[in-house]
Amino acid sequence: MFIGRDLDRVDALAKVLGTAGFAHDLRMEGMLFACVVRSTKPHALLRDVDVSGAYAVPGVLRVVSHKDIPGQNTFGALRKDQPFLAESRVRYVGEPILVVIGENEAVAREGAARVRIDYGEIDAVLEPDATGKGRQIYDTGSLMAYKKVRKGDVEKGSAASDVVVAHTFRTTWIDHAFLETEAGIGYVDEGGRIVIKSSTQNIHYKRVEISRLLAIPEERIRVVQATTGGGFGGKLDVTCEGFLALAVHLLKRPVFMRYTREESFLSNTKRHPLSIDYKTGARKDGTLTAVKVDITGDTGPYASYGDAVCLRVAVHATGPYEVPNVWADCKLLYTNNPVSGAMRGFGVPQLAFAHESQLDEVAEALGMDPIDIRIRNGLKRGSVTATGQVLSASAGFVETLKKIEPFWRARQKTKKGSGFGLGCMYYGIGNTGVANPANALVELGEEGRVILHTGACEIGQGSDTALLQIALETLGVARSDVLLDRGDTDTSKDAGSSSASRQTYISGKAVQEAALGLRAFLDEAGYYHRGRALGDIYRATKDKGRLLFEGFFNPPASGLDEATGQGIPYATYAFASHMTEVEVEEATGACRVKQVHAAHDVGKSINPKAIRGQICGGVAMGVGLALMEEFIPGKTASFDAYYIPTSLDMPRVEVFLVEDEEPTGPFGAKGVGEPALIPQAASVVNAVTDAVGVHVYELPCHVERLKGLIESKKTTK
Amino acid sequence: MLPPFSYIAVHSKQEALTSLASLAGAALLAGGTDLLVRMKKGETHRYVIDLTGAAELSGVKDRGGTLRIGSGMTHARIGAHPAIAKTCGGLAAACSAVGSPQVRNMGTLGGNLVNASPAADSIAPLLVHNAVVTLESIDGMRSEKLERFITGPYRTTIGKHEILTSVEADTLAGYNEGYRRVAKRAGWAISRLSLAWALNDADGVFKDVRIAVGSCTPVPFRPREAEAFLAGKGRERPVVEEAVKMVLDEIRRISGMRPSFAYKLPVVRDLLLSVLGGDSCS
Repeated sequence: MFIGRDLDRVDALAKVLGTAGFAHDLRMEGMLFACVVRSTKPHALLRDVDVSGAYAVPGVLRVVSHKDIPGQNTFGALRKDQPFLAESRVRYVGEPILVVIGENEAVAREGAARVRIDYGEIDAVLEPDATGKGRQIYDTGSLMAYKKVRKGDVEKGSAASDVVVAHTFRTTWIDHAFLETEAGIGYVDEGGRIVIKSSTQNIHYKRVEISRLLAIPEERIRVVQATTGGGFGGKLDVTCEGFLALAVHLLKRPVFMRYTREESFLSNTKRHPLSIDYKTGARKDGTLTAVKVDITGDTGPYASYGDAVCLRVAVHATGPYEVPNVWADCKLLYTNNPVSGAMRGFGVPQLAFAHESQLDEVAEALGMDPIDIRIRNGLKRGSVTATGQVLSASAGFVETLKKIEPFWRARQKTKKGSGFGLGCMYYGIGNTGVANPANALVELGEEGRVILHTGACEIGQGSDTALLQIALETLGVARSDVLLDRGDTDTSKDAGSSSASRQTYISGKAVQEAALGLRAFLDEAGYYHRGRALGDIYRATKDKGRLLFEGFFNPPASGLDEATGQGIPYATYAFASHMTEVEVEEATGACRVKQVHAAHDVGKSINPKAIRGQICGGVAMGVGLALMEEFIPGKTASFDAYYIPTSLDMPRVEVFLVEDEEPTGPFGAKGVGEPALIPQAASVVNAVTDAVGVHVYELPCHVERLKGLIESKKTTK
Repeated sequence: MLPPFSYIAVHSKQEALTSLASLAGAALLAGGTDLLVRMKKGETHRYVIDLTGAAELSGVKDRGGTLRIGSGMTHARIGAHPAIAKTCGGLAAACSAVGSPQVRNMGTLGGNLVNASPAADSIAPLLVHNAVVTLESIDGMRSEKLERFITGPYRTTIGKHEILTSVEADTLAGYNEGYRRVAKRAGWAISRLSLAWALNDADGVFKDVRIAVGSCTPVPFRPREAEAFLAGKGRERPVVEEAVKMVLDEIRRISGMRPSFAYKLPVVRDLLLSVLGGDSCS
């Protein structure tokens, strides 16, 4: 029995012993080093680029510009709109212009520092402008994406409300702050193919982009995932892989790259800053009648994952509540700020901050307990979501509230400044309203060893172990009988990205399908009933070719209506409730998060300890989002000024699991990667309000902002 | 990456002083938690003289009424030293709060003082203890009050060939002393504001009040007027409020109004009200 067991993580031993080969650790005989010359201006024409200084540095071999690109100089997961290397214009600080390749890192960096660029500066667009009247980056206008959801009639719903609460919520840029910065190595193999090993969340997608960049077929490219030190969405876009491929293609020698922390901060995508106008209507008994949400966000100069964020926040506008009348608009606008992209939760953590604050204010206005209003309106089996989807199964939201209810009812403020808050969420597993399948292969190999081939990238979230457990359970074989082969485009088929909390659910199902194929074969061959050994079965059949079984799963969802957003965006949803206790010191504005009770409906827990790990990580990230993390363009350069929580900032975390099984998932499982984070900041903010009676409408609520709120409350008294 | 330099590990104070005098373009490494950061950003030195091996710079001596603390003492060792905890508790608390465990294990008191950051944690408590620093060179030795030694942000009177070898601080038996810092997170953070204090009061009357404010003005300072005002007065709310007002006025007089004061002044006010007022005024 392998499901629901705390199996040791597949990667634990190598990581503990320090033998795991992270991308930063990769080395090859005779390798060169490449580094990127980046724009120092937010918006400028490149009048002249003088590389003679770089070539004057002994050991600099080549300075690569956009002119050296044999194929397409554009990439993008959803739109091909971002240049690998700027051509005549730069649109954000950090935009890549050149790649300098040298004999070693010192030489390459020295060469890069000696490039002289003559910029013709253009006034930068630094504020998103929804009017379209201001200065614009593109002739086509400032609007990058616009998504809407319409259900019922919000005006009627508002009119029928006894209480209406309206506020504007603001969030800012957040960096993924993965501990391993972007890195990788590239080389030409014996067959003349280009091989890239990198720190990444998706290998097959990277292969497509490299193929377009170099204008060579995908079969001539192999992408391998190195052990990856965190992703959180920041390694979904192409980072160093394109530059590595270009350098290897031009010089036919091994090339290594690693970004400095400063370069990572400068170049990587950020969480979208959102401005959320939120209006909630409710009847006296707490029943929600209408929700109107108008969201604008800053995408920077390119789309990255903006389309996915835009649609997802519109779809999730109400939070995990049944609301009869919904009007949600989300617009993302172009600026010359950093490129916003995918980050754990695709906009929903920002949105949860808004809908959970709103709900507490509605409850306050009605004199209700915050947990009662949530239980009353919570989505359950049979509920209709904002997009008109009927939840037919696996909707354990109210059960998550019930798990923490005893603690909530028993809560007691132990001292001045202590407070408690709730935060809840629901989250569609997988990509929104589009096909997002995964493949998996299970093989009976040499000596009867079962090999699980998966393209699902392990980024620390635990997919290796979860997928292995699903294979073991399905096959009923011993742990030592199965070998995991992960993250190599040569040996696996596309599993899609490790994003959107989708790998356990989607790849897990594909692994289960593939394993069922092998299981049927083994059954036929007498493994289960006649006790025939795997090795004997292999030897008896090996002459007939490889014993390879394929699995495939594409979650049953549908596209959404363009005008109304109605449809089935996801096959299944995760649900969660967090209760957080804080202590605020009024004198300093310091907020300490003391304890979190986190209840999650995961469908079926594959590995409870791994889920607990995800939730603790999500809580840490949520504490950062709520209280301290803030990327300020032009100012934030490194961890010196970008504060993420340390162990001293971590609360105690109690985890409760609800298992309302998802019929389409492997053994009923859904996902927990992003849900772990999403409700946390919201629950911290609500706890702060409970503690000191101030309302927080902008994140992060760092010491200075909170002290300011406390002070202005004193003066208005 | 660090720029190239020659590394000299000395084994005694004398060797350090001689090396410093004879080598042009030498920097002292007293832990390196500031120096190496600056060098990684491009600051260059031909020589780096590592003081770690100079045993004379370490150790703590009780000299009856004062405590002599070697400049090579790390923050971690100061934070854990029984004699310092007993008679110089504010300093122990401040050093225990510096940066991260790694920084506390490497960074030294001497390095902290010579770097003279306005946010250096050790300065405010040492001001409260009327600290005097000893500076030595091959030509001799001199002593200077800490508040004179630091002349501005990252500026001191230290000479090119001098090493800060020790710090002498008043022991304050019978005082209630402490240190508070405010930062953006619980640990591994620079002080946004700090406050050191030592109070001696009996029967509800202040006998001696010492306060130092850090991370607020260009150099951490003692608000002498407010301290003098409090001496001999009853520990009562109106008295404390008046003293706090004097401290805030003094901060504004030193620095003018700064954007950060919207945050810092109310915090200084509230922390001082609670420190000076004690339970009677909170």
